[in-house]
Amino acid sequence: MKTECCWAKDVVTAAECPYVSADEADLCASLELRLVARCLECPRFAGDLDRLAEDSGPVAKAMRILAAEVLRQKAQLNTMVGFLDSRNMEIQFLHEIGGILQTSLGLDEVLSAALTAITAGKGFGMNRAFLLLSDKERRYLKGYLGVGPRNYQEAWDIWAEIGRNDYTLREMAMQFHETKLSAEKDKFQDILEKLTVPMGDQGHILNRALQERRAILVHDAFHNPDVDPQLARTLGVDTFLVLPLISRNRRIGAIIADNFITHKPITPQDMHSMETLTFPVAFAIERASLYERMHEDLSKLTQANAKLREQQELIVRMEKLALLGKITSSIAHSIRNPLMIIGGFARSLMKNTGGNDPNREALETILTSAKELETALSETLGYADSVFPAVDQWDVNQLVGNVFREVRRKTEGDGILLTLDLAPDLPATILDYRQMAYCIKKIMSNSLGNMSPPGELRVATRLDGDCILVEIVATADLSVAEEPEGAMDPAPAGGEFSGDMDLSFCRVILENYCKSFIVEEYEGKGRRYALRLPLKKEGADHEQNSGRG
Amino acid sequence: MSRILVVDDESSIRLLYSHELADEGHEVVTSANAAEAVEKLKKDDFDLILLDIKLKNESGLDLLQRIVKERHNLPVILCTAYSCYKDDFSAWLADGYVVKSSDLTELKHEIRRVLEKKGTRNTKKGR
Repeated sequence: MKTECCWAKDVVTAAECPYVSADEADLCASLELRLVARCLECPRFAGDLDRLAEDSGPVAKAMRILAAEVLRQKAQLNTMVGFLDSRNMEIQFLHEIGGILQTSLGLDEVLSAALTAITAGKGFGMNRAFLLLSDKERRYLKGYLGVGPRNYQEAWDIWAEIGRNDYTLREMAMQFHETKLSAEKDKFQDILEKLTVPMGDQGHILNRALQERRAILVHDAFHNPDVDPQLARTLGVDTFLVLPLISRNRRIGAIIADNFITHKPITPQDMHSMETLTFPVAFAIERASLYERMHEDLSKLTQANAKLREQQELIVRMEKLALLGKITSSIAHSIRNPLMIIGGFARSLMKNTGGNDPNREALETILTSAKELETALSETLGYADSVFPAVDQWDVNQLVGNVFREVRRKTEGDGILLTLDLAPDLPATILDYRQMAYCIKKIMSNSLGNMSPPGELRVATRLDGDCILVEIVATADLSVAEEPEGAMDPAPAGGEFSGDMDLSFCRVILENYCKSFIVEEYEGKGRRYALRLPLKKEGADHEQNSGRG
Repeated sequence: MSRILVVDDESSIRLLYSHELADEGHEVVTSANAAEAVEKLKKDDFDLILLDIKLKNESGLDLLQRIVKERHNLPVILCTAYSCYKDDFSAWLADGYVVKSSDLTELKHEIRRVLEKKGTRNTKKGR
């Protein structure tokens, strides 16, 4: 029988067979290879087989059946190879995204990677993706981030840009995180605000996905009884995919993905592939959240540590001052007795010395000097006494009132108006009466010393939240032009006192007792001192007493 | 004229008080320590005691407690270099508290005040 096809030849040329090209030399040279790879698909070969079957009987018939079976199996094989190739690509992609997620610690970094993976062409190629996260109390799922184009024009621009730059998935995620994240949040703000779902609403499609721990592919959303119509309206698509994010039985959130622009159908295969992605994403989100919380805690711990160090430094400073106070007290007391004797006898002698006595002037000098020394000594002892704390419950109004009256007695007629405004019924608070009185007296005295009449020194108390506020406001021409904060700066530890030693010491005491102590300019014409004393807490008595013991 | 017992371990201060208070018309007897003061209190009557708090190796406050216990009508003025004892509970037993100074005006004023108070008290008792 004469064959129509070239299949019977051992060697063929490309000109003889339209299914073989010139560069396929192996096929041209081998009948065996050519027969399986090309001839079986050739219609002329099929025609030859038909004729052979008619002319040559059962063998040719069987050969025809075998050829058909080989073709079927070949097609099946090709389908499987295609499937395996796509699975292989998917595994490679998941491996890549897994690597990105593993090395991302920031929450936004993780979310950028996850949503890029869902929307990028090199990923799952969805048009849009929305991420909802559960709040801290796990009461609501709230829209956090949306990714993708909002319209055709934007979609065209984005895809054209991606086409120009052949970024890897990692590069795309990184670029998105660094340059587009906040803009994307803003872009989808209106939709994200509407994507708030109470986690207690068990019938909601998002909660169902979380409860059933599976992805849900939603079709015909606008008419689907299982879908909240508002959600369908918000998304504006009738088909979308809901992916639950669960990590170690904790409901982290959910992802909604759709093809808003292309309306390409979402297949169950797409759904399963993306479902695989949600496990590492949920885990990475939880890890990032924990990492963020750890950072917050670390920051708090660092602050507490700094505060502790400040307190330790304060204690060291107080200890140094206490030592200084003890030395000062000891010296001052050993001076007071001889000073009293010198001054006392000089005064005694003066009484019996006439106005013209040549010794009178000398006695007067001794008396004046003794008086000056005694004044300095009293100041020094006042400072030294206040170093040793003795805390107890005190009525702040009583303390402030006593100091006020004492200062007023000394300054009567100086042309400065002293006013006292005490809030009634203030609760008692824990403080060292002597130290606090010393400080308030010093602030008042120092203010008065720096004021030129006419002026006003107002002292007031009032309840201020969980504190008692003691306010001293000096309004007049202040003769000392000095920054308010610097006015009471303590000397550096171990160093000399730079300014007024008493005021520096006051700051140390007040910082110890007050919740806050502020010195500030007052309406451009004076100075305001605000001492906020914390109220006595429950159990403070017990702590106080046990502290003393 | 009042009889005043001055208890102070510093001899110059005892001398100063003696001169100054004598000028005020008082009769002054002095003691350098608590034991001597107790002896004198047993033997003589006094109208007032001027007592230093820091005596050598002993506390004037202890002596004050003893005086108050045994002679509770006898007024005591604490006269000390330390202002801090004013807040000390045991110092409140005294009738007056004066911080030592070369100017004895305050002390003299306090003596007058305490003696007047004592006089009033005695007068009331007399009635």
